[in-house]
Amino acid sequence: MNYILEGFKEAIRLLISLDKEVLSIVSLSIIVSTSATIFASIISIPLAVYFGIKKFKAKRLFSRITYTFMSIPSVIVGLVVAIILSRKGPFGHLNLLYTKNAMIIAQTLLVIPLVFGLTYGLTKSRGDVIERIAFTLGANKWDTIVLIIRELKVDILVNIATAFSRAISEVGAVMIVGGNIKGYTRVMTTTISMMNSMGDYPMAIALGIILLLISFIIHSLIYSYNRED
Amino acid sequence: MRIHITKLKKYYGERQVLDIDDLIFEEHKITAITGPNGCGKTTLLNIIAGLDKDYKGEIRYNGFYLNKDITDKMTLVFQKPYLFKRSVYENIEYPLKIRGLSKDIRNKKILDIVKKLEIEDLLEKRAHLLSGGESQKVALARALVFEPDLLLLDEPTSNIDPDAVAILEREIIRFNEESKGTVIIVTHNLEQSKRLGHRIVEM
Ligand SMILES: Nc1ncnc2c1ncn2[C@@H]1O[C@H](COP(=O)(O)OP(=O)(O)OP(=O)(O)O)[C@@H](O)[C@H]1O
Ligand SMILES: [Mg+2]
Repeated sequence: MNYILEGFKEAIRLLISLDKEVLSIVSLSIIVSTSATIFASIISIPLAVYFGIKKFKAKRLFSRITYTFMSIPSVIVGLVVAIILSRKGPFGHLNLLYTKNAMIIAQTLLVIPLVFGLTYGLTKSRGDVIERIAFTLGANKWDTIVLIIRELKVDILVNIATAFSRAISEVGAVMIVGGNIKGYTRVMTTTISMMNSMGDYPMAIALGIILLLISFIIHSLIYSYNRED
Repeated sequence: MRIHITKLKKYYGERQVLDIDDLIFEEHKITAITGPNGCGKTTLLNIIAGLDKDYKGEIRYNGFYLNKDITDKMTLVFQKPYLFKRSVYENIEYPLKIRGLSKDIRNKKILDIVKKLEIEDLLEKRAHLLSGGESQKVALARALVFEPDLLLLDEPTSNIDPDAVAILEREIIRFNEESKGTVIIVTHNLEQSKRLGHRIVEM
């Protein structure tokens, strides 16, 4: 029992003293997952709205496939990206494997289906009314998409926050394509996982606390924004 | 805009809700449509507006089939209006904005229409918090502001108090006379259909 308590004490000390290594790990985590969430959102939100209001034959099948990809395991995404970026892979010449950018790419691909699926589902259920109004007022396709995004922005923001939470808390993808290299590609989750296997708990606990705090802050922000609306 | 409907049939599953052999809505005229609940009035407006393409038969707009040029020049005010989660001002501004009008012109048109409809005091309010009647007035303002050739109204005064009804009717008539707009209005109010309609269609 004692070592757990010691772990917590040491964790608090690390946090209070703003330990350099902890700070660099946390900031890399935030940079990687924020970039991935932004890229994924820019790519998938307009597309999700487009497909959400579009009427086409295989829409049911399309929905099912979309929802399947939403919960794709992060190790699979990591593996695919690693293969593509590996020296012999199609993008091997870019020398991206085991870099920050590789981690951003992997997490972007990981959360694209999540942002897409959530926003697609949202638009399918609530976009129809808005689309009809837009049509009667003379809006074209693009006007309509922009309008729907604006009208559903609170819910879309929740989707983005969900994607960020998924990105910042996943281990598999960043571990495989980043390699957990100290001072270079080490993020919170890969550190926790490594420290745990080494039996070095304080840093793992400190990072765990920060991870929870970040989640808490994000969801509090969303919640207060939601109430304002 | 002259609307000519021929051999229009509309089914929901097995059930036929519309069967119109030949119907013309004359240009620059106000036509009132009346009829019992569920007889297909809203369905007909949706079809004319191009929102519902699942029907048999033909509709010509000034002799043409529906295209983007035509849809840009007509509008439908719904029985249950939906306003955007923005201010009333921005709601009314929307059709002008997507048509690329400059800020000054937009502002002038918006102030003009809210003055006519006597809803200046609503301008800064959040639109989705308005009462049912207020929403109907704003929805009408949003439709009139871009001066469409064809105005389709689905019971636009159902939630509105008598004084405001008089204002709305006055503006619908003004729109028809000054802008030469064609109006098709669905109403359950027989008096209203007489006051407004150059012609009344019973369904
Ligand atoms: N999406 C739908 N699917 C199946 N039936 C529908 C659908 N929409 C409308 N109907 C049916 O079609 C009929 C005509 O509906 P519509 O809304 O056009 O009536 P209405 O004349 O506008 O009635 P009201 O005066 O109550 O507004 C109704 O019986 C209605 O139940
Ligand atoms: Mg109706």
